[in-house]
Amino acid sequence: MTAANEAYDELVTEVLPAHERYLSRISKSFTLLILFAIIIVFALREGSSFFNARNFNDIIIDSSQLVVLSVGMTFVIIAAGIDLSVGSILVLSSVVAAQVTIALSGSPQDIAKFQFPTQSVGIPIGLLAGVATGLLCGMVNGLLITRLQVPAFIVTLGMLGIALGFGQLLSGGTSVPNVPPAIQSEIGLRELVAFDVGGQRVRITPPVVIAYGIAIVAALVLNRTRFGRYSYAIGSNAAAAMRAGINVKLHLVKIYTLSGLLAGVAGAMDLMRFGTASVGSHQADNLAAISATVIGGTSLFGGIGTIGGTVIGAFIPTVLRNGLVIARVQPFWQNVAIGAVLILAVYLDQRRRRAEERM
Amino acid sequence: MKTVERFDTTVSRRTILRASVYAGAGLTLFAPLGFRASARQDSFNIAFIQGVIGDNFYITMDCGARAKAEALGNITIDTQGPERFDQTLQTPILNAVVQSAPSAIMMAPNDRQGMIAPIQAAIDAGVPVLCVDTTIDSDIQLGDVATDNVQGGRLAGRGLADLIGGTGKVFVVNTIPGVSTTDQREQGFREAIESEFPEINYLGQEYDNDDANLAAQITAARLQSDPDLSGIFGTNLFSAQGAAAAVREQGLQGKVKIVGFDAGPTQVQDLRSEVVDILIAQHPGDIGEIAVQLLHDFLTTGEPLDPKDYVTGATIVTRDNIDDPEVARYLYVADCANYTLANAEPMPAASPVATPTA
Amino acid sequence: MASSVESALQPVLEARGINKHFGPVQALKNVDLSVFPGEVVALIGDNGAGKSTLINVLTGVLPLESGEIVFAGEQVRFSSPHEARSHGIETVYQDLAVAPHLDAVANIFLGRERRQSGLPGIAGFLDNRRMRKETDEQLSRLKVRVPDLERRLVTLSGGQRQGVAVARAVMWASKVVIMDEPTAALGVAQTAKVLDLIRQVRDTGIPVIFISHNMPNVFQVADRIVVLRLGEVVTELDPKSATIEDAVAAMTGSTRFSNRGVG
Repeated sequence: MTAANEAYDELVTEVLPAHERYLSRISKSFTLLILFAIIIVFALREGSSFFNARNFNDIIIDSSQLVVLSVGMTFVIIAAGIDLSVGSILVLSSVVAAQVTIALSGSPQDIAKFQFPTQSVGIPIGLLAGVATGLLCGMVNGLLITRLQVPAFIVTLGMLGIALGFGQLLSGGTSVPNVPPAIQSEIGLRELVAFDVGGQRVRITPPVVIAYGIAIVAALVLNRTRFGRYSYAIGSNAAAAMRAGINVKLHLVKIYTLSGLLAGVAGAMDLMRFGTASVGSHQADNLAAISATVIGGTSLFGGIGTIGGTVIGAFIPTVLRNGLVIARVQPFWQNVAIGAVLILAVYLDQRRRRAEERM
Repeated sequence: MKTVERFDTTVSRRTILRASVYAGAGLTLFAPLGFRASARQDSFNIAFIQGVIGDNFYITMDCGARAKAEALGNITIDTQGPERFDQTLQTPILNAVVQSAPSAIMMAPNDRQGMIAPIQAAIDAGVPVLCVDTTIDSDIQLGDVATDNVQGGRLAGRGLADLIGGTGKVFVVNTIPGVSTTDQREQGFREAIESEFPEINYLGQEYDNDDANLAAQITAARLQSDPDLSGIFGTNLFSAQGAAAAVREQGLQGKVKIVGFDAGPTQVQDLRSEVVDILIAQHPGDIGEIAVQLLHDFLTTGEPLDPKDYVTGATIVTRDNIDDPEVARYLYVADCANYTLANAEPMPAASPVATPTA
Repeated sequence: MASSVESALQPVLEARGINKHFGPVQALKNVDLSVFPGEVVALIGDNGAGKSTLINVLTGVLPLESGEIVFAGEQVRFSSPHEARSHGIETVYQDLAVAPHLDAVANIFLGRERRQSGLPGIAGFLDNRRMRKETDEQLSRLKVRVPDLERRLVTLSGGQRQGVAVARAVMWASKVVIMDEPTAALGVAQTAKVLDLIRQVRDTGIPVIFISHNMPNVFQVADRIVVLRLGEVVTELDPKSATIEDAVAAMTGSTRFSNRGVG
């Protein structure tokens, strides 16, 4: 051991206050820097076409589902797992939510006439049914992974097909028609809070509240609770966690259930935003959620990650695409740019982390 | 107070600086590669949002739009679109396009219901929207330009009847129930067969959920139950390909005639290699030209469209006529170098293009 | 340093007639081992002698096949390492079994986190401040130096990580501490610290069993040396009178200490 290493053995027990620790973590984060760089570049190039309240409002609303899916994915990847089925669970949940809503909103004759007398009962129960569907699918994922000892990649890949298939079976392969429009007008698009910024109307809708409320709660759980601590421990060294007496299998079931639950929430959000359950969509949501999580600093090998990073990671491709469309860049170049930024962001983050680590 | 060692500060500050420079430079480099709008005051900029990018149908539509724009002289076109036919992908693109302040938008909405709200928001922001190819269950848009799919189905019926000699059994392999375009194709086919060819027995239709394998299974089953089947109409690419595969597997190629829809490079190759016998080509180039013409008229005069709905035709393509210039011009292109201006005239629709899905 | 081997105290842990097979291979044959309060017992032997197997049976990682284990006067049969821990036996594994991406505090309290009182505690909220304080006290008591309690273990040196792993075992052990190759990957300074730690633990009255290949270390700190060979206890040595050569000879089976009793 060198003298330098000996010097490190200085006993220092000072603990930084919480806010300083957080700031220090953020200042080391390249992800936030990259997001700022993207915003600044587009603000300079496109001016107020890009840099206006309405545009950012649209971005926040449009990325709400991705944020919800990515929060679930963060827990899964921190625990060294993976969930490829989130897009399909979302689709199945939205189909179930749509059909339960329709079934409980009126008799078949009413529906045929596009009337929904009992929708005040049908809509809430329908949305809850969608969320419950997601929870169930997630639980099945967790049980199959832990009981059958089949790798998570394979189980969730299988669930991707199974959930999507059930969604197609239930809906007949098409979008579900005859959903009460109130689900969109009264809930999905309802302006809970609206105010003017620089002459433009900024609106906070339920999907925004849901998404960022979930993110905040998730950050608290991940950082301050035993559930979060165990997720990190299992991802870091599952064997050590087991030896420490943690019920690793039970915890993994909980984590996949959580991921499925959040996919169900995203499915309900889809229904309330678009007024229909479309079976053909969301095919690549799983990769988008994984990208967002990884760009945000979560390690695919487990043990490292934050919700804040994930939210930033969700914004980076969204803002990038938004800016490139406004700048009228051809769509195919957009994909090149987003792929390049993904690699750059993860590379910088890994480099920083490796600089700190010692074998 | 002892200081805690932040041993990485000097290193990361340098790297932070470097990283932002790289990021900023890199991103600025990308922008010149896009199409930039010319001065927005004395000319009009139309944004075309395709149903999905990379599809020859929409590429041809884009070529038509650009050819007409060039002919008119004061219009530029910017094209965007989602990677998949998915409203969750198309919505943020529409929102961003609105931010780029085009004079008008022509778009193929990915969902009849789901896209109503975002389109309404675009209109509220002062950008008129014209629907092309697909449409929404509403009348807020400036208008609609789409293929008359019923007519396309009729042409398919007549073309097939011709090939099989006016007599025999025919059958339709359809894709997904409830999709208006393919439903209308079957409708036209059925009308033509039942009213014009009494000697032909129409056996009905089955759905393959837009899956070629399922189409093949359905066709094989049908060939078992009706060995004297003469012709099959596949209402879209996968349906026609699946049906053709089943026919070939049973060695009935040439004996059972197959009509497919759309004339992209894949379909044309199928036609030339005798996988299918007839293609019904839509006229996406016409749609693009007419849409730009209508928007130009609206933007210059300010008068809303009347009528609002327009249709374009379809063309029967066979191995015999595929090299006729009059037919070849309607084959879908992969790039605009091969596109020639058609100068199609806007044809008002006989009945509203947008039919509610009840 | 006082050896309590001759005292009339009851053994803390006593294993009698332990046998263990892995398929047709007999890994342990009729092994007896007793550990008394306040002593350090070194378990040595060549590769494959059965040292780790014996430890794993004692701590419940492997199921007991035949023989009996008496712990604090009671006969026990541990079905999991968790059970062994609940009886006060703590183990420091050769691979440390720490979560490298967590910090020292999290690792020390792994599986035994302190929760906040009241409703937040029921919801699972952790009392991080209390855990930090207790970790700080424990580490300074053991003179283990960690530059920053908040840093992930993977950013610390091997010796510091070892210190955390040992501190964890020592903090929670109430009856026995077991260590598997505690100095294997360490430099001179760190090794000295670990040996100091072992002595400190012993001085509190808690016995330490440790496995090691490092003869000088063994002779420096052990009160008693148990030699295993091919699954059997060959002999016990007193480090004050025996030499390293004796130990090596016993491990490798020289005629002096052969089980066949020749010589």
